[in-house]
Amino acid sequence: MSRLARVSQINKTWHIASRSLRRNKLQSALTMTGMAIGVATVLAMMALGTGAQRAIQDQVRAAGMNMLIITAGNYQAQREAPPPDAIEMGKLQSPQPTLGDDFSLPRIHYAMPTASRLHTVLFHPEDDPFAVHDHPTARQRLGDSEAGLGAAATLTIADANEIRKISGVQYVSEGIHENVHVMNSDNKRWFTRVHGDDTVTPEIRRAWTFPHGRYFSASEERKHEQVVVLGVIVAQQLFGDANPVGKTITIWKQPFKVVGVIGSSSWLQTPDAGDDQFDAVYIPVTTMQSMLNLSKLNDITVTTVSTGDVTRVSKIVTTLLRQRHNIGGNSPDDFTVSTQASKALTKGSMRPEVAHAVTGNIAGLEKVTLDQLGKSLDRSSRTMTMLLVCIATVSLIVGGIGIMNIMLLSVTERTREIGIRRAVGAEEREVMAQFLMESVVLSIAGGLLGVFIGVAAALVISHLAHWSADVPFAAIAIAFGISTAVGIFFGYYPAREASRVPPLASLRYE
Amino acid sequence: MEPVISVRNLVKTYQLGEHQVQALRSVSLDVHKGEFVSVIGPSGSGKSTLMHILGCLDAPTSGQYLLDGKEVSKLSDDELSAVRNKQIGFVFQGFNLLTRTSALENVELPLLYGKENLSASERRKRAMDALAAVGLESRWEHHTNQLSGGQQQRVAIARALLNNPSILLADEPTGNLDSKTSLEVMDIFQKLQRERGITIVLITHEMDVAEYGSRIVSFKDGLIVSDVQNTQKATYTVETEVTVVVEELS
Repeated sequence: MSRLARVSQINKTWHIASRSLRRNKLQSALTMTGMAIGVATVLAMMALGTGAQRAIQDQVRAAGMNMLIITAGNYQAQREAPPPDAIEMGKLQSPQPTLGDDFSLPRIHYAMPTASRLHTVLFHPEDDPFAVHDHPTARQRLGDSEAGLGAAATLTIADANEIRKISGVQYVSEGIHENVHVMNSDNKRWFTRVHGDDTVTPEIRRAWTFPHGRYFSASEERKHEQVVVLGVIVAQQLFGDANPVGKTITIWKQPFKVVGVIGSSSWLQTPDAGDDQFDAVYIPVTTMQSMLNLSKLNDITVTTVSTGDVTRVSKIVTTLLRQRHNIGGNSPDDFTVSTQASKALTKGSMRPEVAHAVTGNIAGLEKVTLDQLGKSLDRSSRTMTMLLVCIATVSLIVGGIGIMNIMLLSVTERTREIGIRRAVGAEEREVMAQFLMESVVLSIAGGLLGVFIGVAAALVISHLAHWSADVPFAAIAIAFGISTAVGIFFGYYPAREASRVPPLASLRYE
Repeated sequence: MEPVISVRNLVKTYQLGEHQVQALRSVSLDVHKGEFVSVIGPSGSGKSTLMHILGCLDAPTSGQYLLDGKEVSKLSDDELSAVRNKQIGFVFQGFNLLTRTSALENVELPLLYGKENLSASERRKRAMDALAAVGLESRWEHHTNQLSGGQQQRVAIARALLNNPSILLADEPTGNLDSKTSLEVMDIFQKLQRERGITIVLITHEMDVAEYGSRIVSFKDGLIVSDVQNTQKATYTVETEVTVVVEELS
């Protein structure tokens, strides 16, 4: 059959089927409703499920579980530099120290200020810019030091760019942080933090919203523009409830144009005076560097695509930076890679010696905690997905059987009609095509209706239950595709039954 | 001249529970082009069964059926569909129209199944022409349940004529109609035979309807009992109508 003939054949079938559906309005409506409910259920479940999943992931990300922060320098309070024979980070001692050895518990031992170790307290190897390595140059260090960044300003934008190339890394943001007075045009002042940041910061801080305006753009960052984004606390302090976008504030006696305000969308974080995120202002890192005549960074924030990948990435980052900074052998890092887990372990209650002993093996510890956390998150999301798939399958089977049921009934009911069609010359194939077309049209129409109902239901439920709903486009496409497949699959048997009605049926079934 | 329809020793047996019913015992019949054959007989005599076999709606248990010289038993189901679509027009006692469907769409139906690929407007035009031929063009929009019995049968005839078949088979076409409309319908058949040369085979159990044919075949118990040429053909005239009206009044 030529292509044209086939197209006109489909046209004819469509013509016959659509007339037929219009003739049997109630039946069509019932079948469609069945399908629509099936698809709507699937879609609402998927929307609420993925919404819930995303909410969990967002909370985890907001809590920084996939984040590692590389800080310039390696100074820790009450901690000495490791002795020249220091054990490499991340590796447990093996073989075990023998009894009678003076250094049977080396980590605790070298933490105690003894005479033999005194010189390391007086002259920390890292404090000597000339002795350890030549990157960055001593002159730059001194310049940065004068700018208030401390002696160990070892991280550069070039380092950050290299980290961007590591696989598994999601976002990288350079950071310089200062305390400043910001002032509005009415000379109202507020003492706060200024962060020189990259444009991806809002992606890292998943719990951010923008009640006004936006974050600064890549082109503003590239052109070192004097634009500023205010944390919601600063905005309140300087402008009250008014929209500050477009206004100008003064930092370091320089005018900055306000482009946006950052608020929190997470119940985990409520903006508060004194906090680091919302009682702060954000300007492009490039602007900050050129304004303060800096080339160094305080820190680099890195997020990984998956939560369980933090440990691996942190190792690669360590190796990479040691290589770039020409740190060889057992020399200590001139930077610190810290993660949420290590922070949790070293902060607060732990005694410094114990903390040090623990952080000596921090890579292993992180691996346990983060890997476990990541895996259990993955597991729970897999379970959730499985549950959704099961519910979806059941709903679609129910919808499909509904279609089959009604189509079968309709074949019996319409035996006379089929007989008439056969008597005037319809081939078996043509009768089958008509019925198949009818069921496909019904299920597609039902599917379409179901998409609308499902999305509406998801939105209503999420609104009423304060549950985030997320309708992925793929879900709509899948629901639609599946409803078509269901129409064909469950319409096939009734259509075949219809095609087997004999031509004489119109006379017998009167 | 070779007959259009030629059946030899046609037998049709039904299984009704434990009983075997012989609807046709051994029927042989030739119908030539342009003939108007009336088949008459009491109900249950097997004439409807013969008609279904002739119309390719049913198959005989044994015997031969040549349609235009072709052996029908050797045709595939699709070929039989094509025969029903093109070669034979069938008019039923019960009209067999699609319900909740307009007269026009009913008439159009055979065009949706032929191998011809007509556009919707061409289909419509031909269906309107066919409706005009039976005098119903003004009622094309009416649904079948809004039409009288006679009108419905005329729609059915228009449908049967749509693909210009060479043979028209009518199974008790007047069975559900009153005598006046019966005559109108018979007039249409007669005109078709006279003006278009269509071969007509018609079943009836009323002699005055059978009289319209050029040949009368009588059936009894599955066998042909007589086959005569009808020289005094009845025709539909003003006089017959008057007679009918007078009969109805009295």
